[in-house]
Amino acid sequence: MPREAFERSIEEINKRIISMGAASVEALQKAMHAFRERELDAAKKIKKADADIDAQQLQIEDLVATTMATQQPVATDLRLLLCSIKMAAELERSADYAAHLAKATKFFAGEPQWRQTEMIEQMVQIGATMITGTVQAFISRSALQARQVALMDDQIDHIHKSLIKEMVMLLGSRPEDAEKVAKFIQVSGYLERLGDHMTNACESIIYMVEGIHMELNL
Amino acid sequence: MPEETKSPDSFIIETKDLSITYGDGHEAVKHVSLGFPERNVTAIIGPSGCGKSTLLRALNRMNELIPNTRTSGEVIYRAQNIYNSSIDPVIIRRQIGMVFQKPNPFPKSVYQNIAWAAKVHGYAGDMDDLVEMSLRKAALWEEVKDKLKKNALALSGGQQQRLCIARAIALQPEVILMDEPTSALDPIASSYIEDLISELRKDYTIVIVTHNMQQAGRISDYTAFMLMGDLVEVGPTRKLFISPSDERTERYLTGRFG
Repeated sequence: MPREAFERSIEEINKRIISMGAASVEALQKAMHAFRERELDAAKKIKKADADIDAQQLQIEDLVATTMATQQPVATDLRLLLCSIKMAAELERSADYAAHLAKATKFFAGEPQWRQTEMIEQMVQIGATMITGTVQAFISRSALQARQVALMDDQIDHIHKSLIKEMVMLLGSRPEDAEKVAKFIQVSGYLERLGDHMTNACESIIYMVEGIHMELNL
Repeated sequence: MPEETKSPDSFIIETKDLSITYGDGHEAVKHVSLGFPERNVTAIIGPSGCGKSTLLRALNRMNELIPNTRTSGEVIYRAQNIYNSSIDPVIIRRQIGMVFQKPNPFPKSVYQNIAWAAKVHGYAGDMDDLVEMSLRKAALWEEVKDKLKKNALALSGGQQQRLCIARAIALQPEVILMDEPTSALDPIASSYIEDLISELRKDYTIVIVTHNMQQAGRISDYTAFMLMGDLVEVGPTRKLFISPSDERTERYLTGRFG
């Protein structure tokens, strides 16, 4: 096979992106579980997982830097490496949001379950699906799949807006819960941002495959 | 790659449906139409035998020096086909100079290397000025100003190549053709030549054939990719190296050719 060393680097990057994606999804789901079940100590574990994901991002960056320095890639090879850096950065941000979600649990200690938690849960599920889909689109070099995944961001945005409306109404009837309401909106905002980050990653995949810059979900 | 690539508002030299066949019947260049924007560096890349050097030599009628070479089509320079029978190839080669793969200074002094060709071409101005100007433009003056009487063959390979560039400059050309000008040089000497090319593009149109893709990426504004005598793709170097249009260019650039 021509350019064996280069292909080996790409194989390694693929593996690491898959691993980062899986770790981000896992962190997100665990954080959701902690948030729903009021598991205050879960936040610590997720923080540890977040540090691992940060380290993975740096490993991917190092690998890309080495490959660029030694292989002097151009054309699709170059775009693939640029996309890899971007993917790693966006996945790292997603994992940060999972950690933020877990951390928010402590504000609701002892609090009975809010009905709107369901909306957060929906956003988490869509977010997790977006992460998995983005990683698949990257691995299979599929601009079509990237476009499809990015469309899901609209669903997250829609839930986020509905949730804000509900929270504003809640504030009217329960002004004493203002701080918790604010926290709830903040949590929803994290997940809304997570959708944006995956959309950015999808734009980067389209650039990798087609060589064009495209703004998705304007 | 130069920071600012000037837009190709005009081609100083342009081939139109140019084909070149060698005496053995091998068609080295096939129907190539390619323009070279003024005061830009255009790199021609492609695998060995793709016709890139043959195309380069056609731009100042150098192929005529190879017996039984047939050329069809046109090379338009300043609105004239240089292959018209009324055109003197010697004058064309003064206006469109060439620098070769291996430095080929005359076995004469540094000074004479520059003065001799200028004199032959009828230069009547101050010769000392011309020698100094040419050597300065070739970024060699500081290194040789105290050894102008020394034999040029005593210079290092990189200095000899810059002397050859100075010799071409002395004839006050508009276009400088370079055929793999750094392939016989070490990396440091090569980087001097690359810097020099980036400087020369302010005053001259440069066409360079190189098999070093990274070099094409570093120094050229435009890149043309040739394959088996065909011009596959030409465009801004940035575009070609990041997002080429043709699958064959992609495969060649990424080393997956064949």
